Amino acid sequence: MLEQVAGTASSAVVGAALVAALVALATTRHPPLAIGVLLDLLVAAGLLRLVGNPSWQAVVTAGVILVLRRLVGAGFRAARRSWSGGGEGPGRRPAARRRLELLDRLVRPAWRL
Amino acid sequence: MEELLAEVVSVLVTVVEACGAAVIIIGAVWAFVRFVYAGLRERSTSAFVPVRLTLGRFLALGLEFQLASDVLRTAVAPSFRELGQLAAVAAIRTALNYFLGKEIAEERRQVAEEHERGRAVPDPTDLARGRTV
Repeated sequence: MLEQVAGTASSAVVGAALVAALVALATTRHPPLAIGVLLDLLVAAGLLRLVGNPSWQAVVTAGVILVLRRLVGAGFRAARRSWSGGGEGPGRRPAARRRLELLDRLVRPAWRL
Repeated sequence: MEELLAEVVSVLVTVVEACGAAVIIIGAVWAFVRFVYAGLRERSTSAFVPVRLTLGRFLALGLEFQLASDVLRTAVAPSFRELGQLAAVAAIRTALNYFLGKEIAEERRQVAEEHERGRAVPDPTDLARGRTV
């Protein structure tokens, strides 16, 4: 009984996560925030699936969502730091461009000019 | 006597799990309403952060209840195999709770940093009027 209620609530929370993420994306035009909102509510849905005697799949899914949330958060933070200069002054973007050019030269096949 | 204990523990496990589920459901519904409200009314990214922090607290509390039910279950686990399964599930839930707590602390730190930065940067409307902070 409790597991059925939790399962139904979990599905409803997944739907709510999609709606909330779409609202966040449409109103703020800020994808990292929308993904954060989506993953927050998906964690709630995953935890609801852990009620009762959860299957290994449910436990692993909840863990994967949490890991994904951390990875996405860390990725967006790193991206924001690199684009905002990260406190290194205005020379940061040209240095990044130089690094990209060097990488491009290194991976370009020798027969291509 | 042992059967009575098993029955009592079973009822307690159900009650504690129901409490945990209720906390998570209430948190999710509250957060959904607040997310939609923040999106439609305030339309700024900073309005979403406090809602996310509070939702994280709700989830951590719900997980605590789930862990409590796991601990109760170990009181009547009859075989080593079931005990091992319970231990694995409890370990994963503990890890989830730990990471959730770390995330809440990290987001709270970011909010404090942004708040400090916002205080340090003068308001452009004040600058336009020739005032200094």
